[in-house]
Amino acid sequence: MLPENSGRQGGGVEGALSYSDFRFRPARIKKVVAESPKVKSFYLEVREGELPRPGQFYMVWLPGHEEVPMSASDAGADFIRITVSREGETTAQFHRLRRGDSLFLRGPFGNGFSLEGKSFLLVSGGYGAAPLIFAAKEISRAGGRCTYLSGAKNRSELLFLGELRRLGVEPLVATEDGSAGHRGLVTDLVDAVLPRGKYQRVLTCGPELMMYEVVKRAVGRGIKVQASLERYMKCGFGLCGSCVLDPVGLRVCCDGPVFDGELLLKTDFGKRRREASGAGVSL
Amino acid sequence: MKLGIRLGRMRMKNPTMLASGILCNGSLLKRAAVEGGAGAVVTKSLTREVREGYPTPVVVGVDCGVINAVGLANQGFASYLSEDLPLAKEGRVPVIVSVAAGRVEEFEEICVRAEEAGADAVELNLSCPHVEGHGMEVGADPAAVSRIVKDLAGVMKIPVHVKLGLSDRMIESAVAAEAAGAEAVVAINTIRAMAIDVDARRPVLTNVYGGLSGPAIHPIALRCVFELYRELSIPVIGCGGVSDWRTALDFLMAGASAVQVGSALAVRGIGIFREIEEGIRRYLVKNKFSSVKEVIGIAHGVKR
Repeated sequence: MLPENSGRQGGGVEGALSYSDFRFRPARIKKVVAESPKVKSFYLEVREGELPRPGQFYMVWLPGHEEVPMSASDAGADFIRITVSREGETTAQFHRLRRGDSLFLRGPFGNGFSLEGKSFLLVSGGYGAAPLIFAAKEISRAGGRCTYLSGAKNRSELLFLGELRRLGVEPLVATEDGSAGHRGLVTDLVDAVLPRGKYQRVLTCGPELMMYEVVKRAVGRGIKVQASLERYMKCGFGLCGSCVLDPVGLRVCCDGPVFDGELLLKTDFGKRRREASGAGVSL
Repeated sequence: MKLGIRLGRMRMKNPTMLASGILCNGSLLKRAAVEGGAGAVVTKSLTREVREGYPTPVVVGVDCGVINAVGLANQGFASYLSEDLPLAKEGRVPVIVSVAAGRVEEFEEICVRAEEAGADAVELNLSCPHVEGHGMEVGADPAAVSRIVKDLAGVMKIPVHVKLGLSDRMIESAVAAEAAGAEAVVAINTIRAMAIDVDARRPVLTNVYGGLSGPAIHPIALRCVFELYRELSIPVIGCGGVSDWRTALDFLMAGASAVQVGSALAVRGIGIFREIEEGIRRYLVKNKFSSVKEVIGIAHGVKR
């Protein structure tokens, strides 16, 4: 029932978790970069040898405020990067932090993208770009090719375009207001490129309804597709069930957050999500 | 080798149960049964009103377990019973609905509706350590336990289980529950605790206090089960720090007829129920027992 690239949780497997993995640890901010008017990246000092995979996430806590799940948007020998969009009170507080301040982390949790293959189509919407820029770096490092489609409301919310170009990837852009690239949705670009390219895998992250459209198109053409999901989480490591996809019973935190498209189409992905109380609401 | 047991009027294919508050939602309860092999599953505690629970952080790891103060988050009993319970029942093992309430009438309303919706039993959460007026104070008051259980036993057809926490009066409360008509006692709930982050220099949980679960509390829970077995004639269900077949089997030997598993799912995965079942089976075969019932209470030395 589980996706092949399921997370670390599980009976006695190598790298199985222990209870102390669910503690917080401080991570000092080495650098803050404004990526757009709404989005900042934080470069954090991390433990030696810690390397998240693209698609894995951290539970990030700012003491005095809430804890939120955040995908890694890059990682190196001595840092990880998280990219935070200012969406509510907690993320607004994150945006006030400066170099030398600390965030508190648990993780990395979850499975991450499977990056086997040579030819990828990456489809990003809004701050869904965070795990995809990380994936694009890994793909380039491994000698793979990728086409990167980037959608946003307007030009200033398009993320990581310079970073992509430095990787040798020329992003194709769509904005809802037409201030850059194609005026319209990123799924219009998907319709344009998907039939022409010979893609082995499609990776997507962004608003759920956008991902739903991308997944349907890729599955319809028989192309493997993976989507990285966002859900309300309480624990982040599989106990509380808050982030469940019904009726299959998949937990976004530890069976995901990256799922194969075919599996997602058997769930309420794109239709319904649960709130903090567990009550279901239509998307 | 038969691992089936009877819990009062309820039959289970093996003595492992998913503890309340873990996985929680219907589709995951089904998965615990079908994929994980649980002999029964318990829902999260349902309340009359929708509860968002506390703001995060609500769960944190410690050396030997987990501390949580989720705050009885749930969508309200009506929504859960209509949307989640049917999915849970697809797992084809007994589904026990956990109920939390502040007043007798609330318990009655939710329990009766759970029975109508197809619950196989109800488990009264009289021991939540992190929500005021919803548990611990009640479970530590034998007269209150007696009132609630007597009221429910009078109107319910399905079994009423009572989940008690660690308190000075736990034994008295359990005895009162049995006398009032409870068909099983679950012991114990999480133990009131807290975590302080030395770098943040503050309590980690938003609610400050939470409940400790996991290996840290197992020896305490084991002692409780051992004592309860001596005082009760209804079945005891052991809960607290079951991590593998040994910590399940020692509960059985102390007198538990079944065990509930919770925190260990975080480190062992959903398959832990089957792991426990297989471990116990191997032990029973190796030691020439003919059924799991023979080890229940065996640590007391005399056959009951």
